[in-house]
Amino acid sequence: MFRQRGGGPAQPPPKPLDPRYKWPEKPTLLGTSVKRLDGPDKVTGRARYTYDINRPGMIYGRIVRSPVPHAKITSIDLSAVQKAPGVKAVLAWKEAGAELFYQGDPVAAVAADTEERARDAARLVRVRYETLPHVATEAQAMAADAPQWSTAQANTRAGTRQETGDLETGFKQAAHIVEQTYSTHVIGHVCLETHGTVCEWEGDKLTAWVSTQGCHQAAQGFAQALGIPQTDVRVITQYMGGGFGSKFAPDAQGIICAKLAKLANAPVKLMLDRREEHLDTGNRPSAFAHIKAGVSADGMLTAFDATSWGTGGAGQGANFPLPYLYQFPNRRRAHTDVYINAGTQRAMRAPGHPQGCFLTEILMDELADRVKMDPVEFRIKNAPKLAPNAMWIEYFQRGAKQFGWDKRHPTGDPTPGPIKTGMGVSAHLWGGGGRGSQSHVDIMSDGSVVVKCGTQDIGTGTRTIVAMVAAESLGLPISAIKPEIGDTQYPFSGGSGGSTTAASVSPAIRVTTMKALDALYAKVAPVLGTDAQNLVAEGGRIHVKGDTSKGLAWKDACKHLGTEPISVDGAWTDGLSSSGTSGVQFSEVTVDIETGIVKVKRILAMQDCGLIVDKLTAESQVYGGVIAALNFALFEDRLLDRVTGQMVNPNMEFYLLAGMSDIPKIEIVLNNMPERGVVGIGEPPTVSTASAIANAVRNATGVTIRSLPLHPHKVLAALEQERAGGT
Amino acid sequence: MKAFAYVNATSEREAVAALKFDGIALPLAGGQDLLARMKDYIDSPDRVVNVKNALDATVTATPDGGLKIGGAMKVVDLAEHAQVAKLYPAVAAAAIEIGTPQIRNQATVGGNINQRPRCWYYRNEEFVCYKKGGSRCFAVNGENQYHAIFGNDGPSHIVHPSSLAVPFLAYGAKFRVLGPNGEREIAAAEYFTMPTLQNVMKENVLADEELLTHVILPAPGNVKSGHYEVRYKASHDWPLVFATIVLALGGTSGNTIRSARVVLGAVAPVPWRSKAAEDALAGKPLNEQTAALAGEAAVKEAKPMSGNAYKIQITRTAVKRAIMNAAGIKTA
Ligand SMILES: Cc1cc2nc3c(=O)[nH]c(=O)nc-3n(C[C@H](O)[C@H](O)[C@H](O)COP(=O)(O)OP(=O)(O)OC[C@H]3O[C@@H](n4cnc5c(N)ncnc54)[C@H](O)[C@@H]3O)c2cc1C
Ligand code: SF4
Repeated sequence: MFRQRGGGPAQPPPKPLDPRYKWPEKPTLLGTSVKRLDGPDKVTGRARYTYDINRPGMIYGRIVRSPVPHAKITSIDLSAVQKAPGVKAVLAWKEAGAELFYQGDPVAAVAADTEERARDAARLVRVRYETLPHVATEAQAMAADAPQWSTAQANTRAGTRQETGDLETGFKQAAHIVEQTYSTHVIGHVCLETHGTVCEWEGDKLTAWVSTQGCHQAAQGFAQALGIPQTDVRVITQYMGGGFGSKFAPDAQGIICAKLAKLANAPVKLMLDRREEHLDTGNRPSAFAHIKAGVSADGMLTAFDATSWGTGGAGQGANFPLPYLYQFPNRRRAHTDVYINAGTQRAMRAPGHPQGCFLTEILMDELADRVKMDPVEFRIKNAPKLAPNAMWIEYFQRGAKQFGWDKRHPTGDPTPGPIKTGMGVSAHLWGGGGRGSQSHVDIMSDGSVVVKCGTQDIGTGTRTIVAMVAAESLGLPISAIKPEIGDTQYPFSGGSGGSTTAASVSPAIRVTTMKALDALYAKVAPVLGTDAQNLVAEGGRIHVKGDTSKGLAWKDACKHLGTEPISVDGAWTDGLSSSGTSGVQFSEVTVDIETGIVKVKRILAMQDCGLIVDKLTAESQVYGGVIAALNFALFEDRLLDRVTGQMVNPNMEFYLLAGMSDIPKIEIVLNNMPERGVVGIGEPPTVSTASAIANAVRNATGVTIRSLPLHPHKVLAALEQERAGGT
Repeated sequence: MKAFAYVNATSEREAVAALKFDGIALPLAGGQDLLARMKDYIDSPDRVVNVKNALDATVTATPDGGLKIGGAMKVVDLAEHAQVAKLYPAVAAAAIEIGTPQIRNQATVGGNINQRPRCWYYRNEEFVCYKKGGSRCFAVNGENQYHAIFGNDGPSHIVHPSSLAVPFLAYGAKFRVLGPNGEREIAAAEYFTMPTLQNVMKENVLADEELLTHVILPAPGNVKSGHYEVRYKASHDWPLVFATIVLALGGTSGNTIRSARVVLGAVAPVPWRSKAAEDALAGKPLNEQTAALAGEAAVKEAKPMSGNAYKIQITRTAVKRAIMNAAGIKTA
């Protein structure tokens, strides 16, 4: 599975870029705001998501899942369900004797002629379990006499150990030391469209409509799990309602769907419901760190010593970068992964970064207060040096001005009355960049153009940027391009993860369309009595450079293709994209100290993403990222009952998400850096919002809440503790 | 969801007759609660009786100067009803905060009062607690941040979910109930029941074959009322705590509280009347200081569970602000 993390793997040195493919110096479309081409289809319901796919004779699948967090299956009896009304196929996904590690672990499945009957039938599968002791929280798992999450594996595993510089010296240089425990909690991806698949066999060939952020990876996953050649699998994802890192593979539900379809000899739709979505489609792991950090009298960070842990659920790690971003010359960190009996983590929008950022950024404000420095000034002092992919210092300065940071009061709003106002700041980084996409372009003799790329639109507007890049290259309006994506029959492109899609797809489209254009120039040049290299395509015409009168309208030019259309393949190449992004966010909040309720008033997001392709969809990424992070800060919380280990809020009612009226004014400053090529922006904007909010709460109330979410009970408890004379 | 028979009743009597059935029959009003329970296999009735076309959905004036509200009235219509807002502003204030516009457009007054608990253990099939015929309450040692802080003797520790019940009780409403043996009127204060091992599977005195047909509100008299809800999310969420205050005023300045009704929501298995707060208010001038004293008095007898002591502070605030709201003093 291709998933580039922050920083990214070491990459080979770039090949020099063929100057023909360079991004245009004076683009007409790139960097402008173009509305999503499929927007009208989405809002009118014409867009067909996997859920909307209906095939002739299609039936419905349903999975039977473990109701308990840890058990051994003693027996599975499928006899009653086989006779249930409408049932067409039944399968045992696990065997008697198998161990189940979390509530929601798949056990068996049925397919029936209606969705309702499938649900009812699933309840007739008789599974007997021998329940095993479980652990539901990190603390339970780490306790001395803890039950084991698995009969085969211990509850903890030593992870990253890092040491740089000399801690002892570092702490000697410190004038002040802060020592505290910080933490973030587990949240889900909560894709609006749940995970799911429609599978249809034609002989040995499988067509799967999958809600996936990686059609080609999903195809590979199906082939491997089903033992069939990947050439016999076609995956289609025309539209999908969010993945956030949780939708790269077919998963159990995809494979089960394919198997049920084979058994029943009928197409099967298997979409998870909201409850299953919460229990078994991944989550962002928790993060805890006990940190001791030192700062010198003049506000320089000197030392950082952290013991960290976190859980990614049943058998999955929970690593995150720590310390985050700021430079502690002397540092040590020892991490432990903790396993509990809960659904497993998956990559989630900037994996690890929101956690590492929160743990570090709250500490930063505490340190700044010790040396009585303004948090912005303190951060500028300790941030990495200014570089094209590291613009923090500039963003702190520009952002502070734009946000009105000078109006910020020191820690603790002195205004009388219960409503306290505060401001906070926080910074982040991300890798982004991308490579490896391929594409295909056909230019027909009637002038129509189709661009094909086996990428998919995870919701970021990929279809639109494919058309934009092609239109820019060919000098055509966007409406003249037919972008085709979301199908493994199109040339390979990687998964939409790691903020790599725009940076991997855009160059491929650029190269392929420019190649196609060269082929067209070759046909047209003789007609215009010139050489191909003298031609340009702009404004819907092909003409001689510097002489617009000597040319042909696009359609007329294409007529010279005769019966043979231009059909060209191309691929991503070095020099049109790069990696590394930086951002800074500011937030202003109010806190009602008589109820503990936090309201976010406004957010300012400063962000770079290299060359901006579509300004509108780039801004959408920032909006989405900020809103998601506000949810992380205030609302979302995967809550397992501490006694039974079962989730108490697997729904959209007590699993809280912001509504319209909880969302503040969000201002965005996008730093266009065309010279860097495309970088990608899907993840970075979601990293630092929660810390900026938490620091604003601290500034408003004068008390520090060192764990998320900032639920009223924590705010009130912190205020109470303050009154009682605590820290 | 289990297959069920559907009866579309067109009159009160027909509806009540249809509820008398050998098997489980449940009335269906706006369905915002019942359908969700059925889909989640919390309830699996054999027969569902639609009462939306059977019950009154209007507001009528009563001879004594009060109002009679039909059980099938939509929450949105209640929230927007001019007479209701004028005579019983706390009812309108509570109605407009319920759920979301979509929920308010479907939900009815009768359904709102009779909705089942929102305790997350109750709402998830795997937890077979007292309310579902089991023999334990999972909230006691589990996740109880949204549970009761008053009336915590058990066996159940829910908070009553109805927003409307609280102002109805504060204004001294009666509920008209119709059953196979005729009709009866029950004071809202007597309608809701504290859980016991015998009655824990219900939240009120309504018999299985009875329907709540009307809410009868007495003439309000010379009162000032206030309503305050503390909500974490602005919409699509439940209040953490809320309070309705109805104050009868007198004295030479007309600003002395003669008597008070203080009813708290989301704090106990029933809409919770705080006698302590009422006593603290009686005879005092209506001002912010009195409001704060009443808030303090209201929480004196609170008995929180392991994870919800923070609701005490919120209750203090809700009571104080509801009173300030009644006095016309600006609050946060
Ligand atoms: C996210 C969310 C937030 C919400 N927030 C709030 C809130 O803040 N405050 C609040 O009060 N509610 C809230 N609700 C709940 C909602 O208001 C209720 O579900 C709704 O009011 C129920 O009314 P209904 O007409 O749809 O009832 P139904 O679902 O039709 O019925 C509810 C129950 O009452 C019974 N019943 C219906 N009518 C009668 C009758 N006339 N006589 C006797 N029994 C009857 C039914 O059999 C059923 O058991 C929220 C719900 C959600 C999902
Ligand atoms: S509070 Fe009531 S509904 Fe909730 S678990 Fe306890 S008994 Fe069940």
